[in-house]
Amino acid sequence: MASSASTNIPQKPASSTNPALPRLVRLALLVIIDAAIIWFLNRLVTLGYYPLAAVFLVILLFVNVVLLRQEAYPLRWMIVGLVLMTLFVIYPILFTVWVAFTNYGEGHLITQEQAVDQILQAKYLPETGKAYSWTAYKSPDGSYALWLKDAEGSTFLALPGEPLSQPQPGEAGIGELDDKGIPKTIEGYQRLNAIVAATDKNLTQILFGEEGTTIQVRSPSEAAELLPLYVFDAEADAMINQQTGVVYSNIRGSFTSPTGQQLRPGFIASVQLQNFKDFFVSPALRGPMVRIVTWNFAFAFFSLLLNFSLGLLIAIVYNEPGFPFKKLIRSLLIIPYTVPALITILIWRSMLNPELGVIDRALENMFGWAPPWFTDQLWAKVAILIVNLWLSYPYFMLICSGALQSISEDYYAAAQVDGASPWQQFWNITLPLLLVAVGPLLVASFTFNFNNFNLIYLFNAGGPPIAGTPTPAGHTDILISYVYNLAFSGSRGVNYGFASAITIVIFFIVGTITLFQFRYTRMWEEVSENV
Amino acid sequence: MSKKIWASMSILLILAMVLTACASATPAPTEEPASVATEAPVATEVPVATEEPTAVPTEEPAPTEAVVEPEATLRIWADDTRTPILLDLADEFLAEYNVALVVEDLGRVQDIRAQVIIAVPAGEGPDIYLGVHDWLGALVESGLVAPIDLGDKQDEFVESALEAFTYTDGQLYGVPYDTENLGFFYNTELVTEVPTTWDEVLEVGRALKAEGKATYAIAIAGDPGYNSLPMQTAFGGYVFGKNEAGAWNPDDVGLDSEGMVEAVDWMVKAVDEGLMPDTTDYETGHQLFETGEIPFLMAGPWALDRIRASGVPYAVTSFPDNGAPFLGVQGFMVNPLSENVLLAQAFLTEYVATEELMQTLYETGLRPSAFKSVLATTEDPDLKAMGEAGASAIPMPNIPEMGSVWSAWNNGITLALTKQQTPAESMADAAQQVRDLIKGALAGMVNLPGSYQTKAGCGADWDPACEATAMTEGDDGKFTLTAQIPAGEYEFKVALDGDWKVNYGSDGALDGPNYALSLAADSTVTFVYDPETHLVEVTTE
Repeated sequence: MASSASTNIPQKPASSTNPALPRLVRLALLVIIDAAIIWFLNRLVTLGYYPLAAVFLVILLFVNVVLLRQEAYPLRWMIVGLVLMTLFVIYPILFTVWVAFTNYGEGHLITQEQAVDQILQAKYLPETGKAYSWTAYKSPDGSYALWLKDAEGSTFLALPGEPLSQPQPGEAGIGELDDKGIPKTIEGYQRLNAIVAATDKNLTQILFGEEGTTIQVRSPSEAAELLPLYVFDAEADAMINQQTGVVYSNIRGSFTSPTGQQLRPGFIASVQLQNFKDFFVSPALRGPMVRIVTWNFAFAFFSLLLNFSLGLLIAIVYNEPGFPFKKLIRSLLIIPYTVPALITILIWRSMLNPELGVIDRALENMFGWAPPWFTDQLWAKVAILIVNLWLSYPYFMLICSGALQSISEDYYAAAQVDGASPWQQFWNITLPLLLVAVGPLLVASFTFNFNNFNLIYLFNAGGPPIAGTPTPAGHTDILISYVYNLAFSGSRGVNYGFASAITIVIFFIVGTITLFQFRYTRMWEEVSENV
Repeated sequence: MSKKIWASMSILLILAMVLTACASATPAPTEEPASVATEAPVATEVPVATEEPTAVPTEEPAPTEAVVEPEATLRIWADDTRTPILLDLADEFLAEYNVALVVEDLGRVQDIRAQVIIAVPAGEGPDIYLGVHDWLGALVESGLVAPIDLGDKQDEFVESALEAFTYTDGQLYGVPYDTENLGFFYNTELVTEVPTTWDEVLEVGRALKAEGKATYAIAIAGDPGYNSLPMQTAFGGYVFGKNEAGAWNPDDVGLDSEGMVEAVDWMVKAVDEGLMPDTTDYETGHQLFETGEIPFLMAGPWALDRIRASGVPYAVTSFPDNGAPFLGVQGFMVNPLSENVLLAQAFLTEYVATEELMQTLYETGLRPSAFKSVLATTEDPDLKAMGEAGASAIPMPNIPEMGSVWSAWNNGITLALTKQQTPAESMADAAQQVRDLIKGALAGMVNLPGSYQTKAGCGADWDPACEATAMTEGDDGKFTLTAQIPAGEYEFKVALDGDWKVNYGSDGALDGPNYALSLAADSTVTFVYDPETHLVEVTTE
């Protein structure tokens, strides 16, 4: 931004000759940017989003340093990118890591502060306490009176700070009673409908009646001599039940009594390494891990092999000059790539349906047998690979076509002179040179397929089920889909803490594989040599 | 140079701060009331604005008329069918009570849950939202729903619907408006006499198949657990039992009960005979019924539209053998973190729980009503029949443990239907999976929670899941724990699986009295637990 200001005056050879104007523009811009960020920071702090506020503070300092310091000049060109990366990549990663060490999930969704507030609102009716139905009256100065009716049908007038009275109509300004026995008017007050009375947020806080037996509105139909049920002991981090005297101490995000009763709601709390331990140690959660990981690798490997081979084959065939209708056919072949995968997967799903699917019906008619795509583990895996092949070969066809055209014809001419067969030419010229160009993409594709959640989940949700496993799992489940089931529909609904922990584990698995592949294939070096 | 830079930077920052201060100075004093006042006095439909509360229209109230600012605003999250109905109430409600209704359309009812879980803890939730009763487990445990007291209105609701919205603590957490459950559909052209037992269903199918008029007798359309429950219950199968108080008991898992195994066995035999497909695909089942290839189907009110559109001659009736489906109930729930809890409750009990509104909700929703007088005057024969089939329906368990059931249950039945295991094996595995998931990660842990735990390295006393006092299993099958405990008087107990559900006292009995431990001096204490007798021996050094 700042530099665009300096390029506005192209006549000047460099900003050094007359730096005043662009400098000022730049500073003005910076002030505006700073103002915007500080305003945002202010909002975040008032809303209590401290971690995000910290990130913005870092961004603020970074922007200022980069725009003001000469040494940081090259960074100016990347400033927008770096800021966005901090916000949308690094911050979420840090957040995930933090969540992995907490019990954040259903049952523990709110903060301790919110949970304490909610628990402190709980009231109880002492044994001697009475409950009434109520009608509210409001005076012009905003004070309230309640007309109470107890279970036996006796009626009372309650005013804040005064003992209950039992006036009859005509006394104490009480007007005529309506058919429910509630006075239509009370002098100096206006009768309120339950909804109108409820619009006052403070109504439930008002204590009616004399001290000692105060009455509070609890719900639209009930007012009672309530007492707060719990008192929070901040020092001991515990809730004390006023009725029974039981102490509920904070154990991993739930106030728990010595007999194991937990107060609702629970709240977010640190659980240290528990989520990781659960995943690695607990037999109940670990499940058929070896099987799933084996299939995960097989799936990623065979997907890559098949997709790349078919893509390359088609690319080579259509790379042949003089192939008829080349452009048309090539365009048609790209179609699977342009249709959203979601739709393609669902279409395949119905085409392979054993009762109604086109493919199965056709096979049934021709051979009297069709593969049980959804109920047999082997065929389910084959079906997954076929669908993935359909989804991905156009991608490899495209990149291989491009790469093939970049291989110089001279090599082939030389090879022909030497008498190499087309097969030899392919293995010794085409493939090695192609791999240099598309190698990194192969690694990327492997990583992508390793975590190809969409395909597995949409096609058959990991089915068919594996018999006799400690946790529900399917034959085509890959790590990520298995873990999804565990963390989001497994035990107690959504469990973000556990999900984050496993995400981190998977990150390390995939990261290691990728690193190993890059090392092994020396991809970075090769690429840079060629460029 | 560097000093100069820092100096100019700080000047810049101060400048910027002044700038922001100026900007925020004007709205600051009005900020508090503004949050209510600027939320348009007239109800406005706001398309999904969940993340940002500021997305609510911020237009200033029309200055031409002396509009009274509404006393309060009620924000409601509803689905696409109910949003217009609630919006229709807005003008009248504003005129009558001076409270603005803001109704936001979140698409399908099912989608509301995910939004509630994120928005409510962040303090950005609505005052009222629609939902299904089986969310209660998650919502109550997480503190995202407030109890409701219907008062006298209670008698006007269908009992099973209220039961569904009552959590294990005995409190009501929603105002129900409609119910849904599977009904028993049959093809009136193929079936002349309605079967009263499941065996008769197969009988009819067998005859039709022999005549070449049908491919199968019946199909399970959808996840086999939920969608074949009327078969399972007919044989005495169940998912969770109930305790004496009538609340769901998560320790009584019925997936491997005799009745359940018998039911699955019956299904397997039907598949063997070719009277039922081994696939339980939703689409397959429905297409088979809609094209007249199967005479019977178990389907819910959500499928009525497509079945009617297909033109197949059908009728709905109750299930054979008194089979019971699950009952799902939709209702209004109140956000406990809202500022207007009392108002929201008053709105629901005084304004929504009326025959007129319940009738409107029924007419647009195409589900049996949860309001007695509306249900009684239901004219639609299909919904009426479905309501009757639902009379014996079991409210879907609303405890959080139900979340552990679905996939194990479905897998168990699928494994039996596809012949990979016998029904007895597959359902026993399924039940074990559910029990393990409920116990959680700490299944198998033996612990000694007590008042000594903080001194032995735990974060709190009486924690049955504390790693530091977990016992280790020896070769003799006994569990031991050795701990350094300072002098003092202590109490403790034995708890299994990191939870209090199964705990033994000093008499070796379930839920028995605490052990007492009195140490005159700091000592190394060795505890040995015998899983046969459930007793602990203590030796001190």
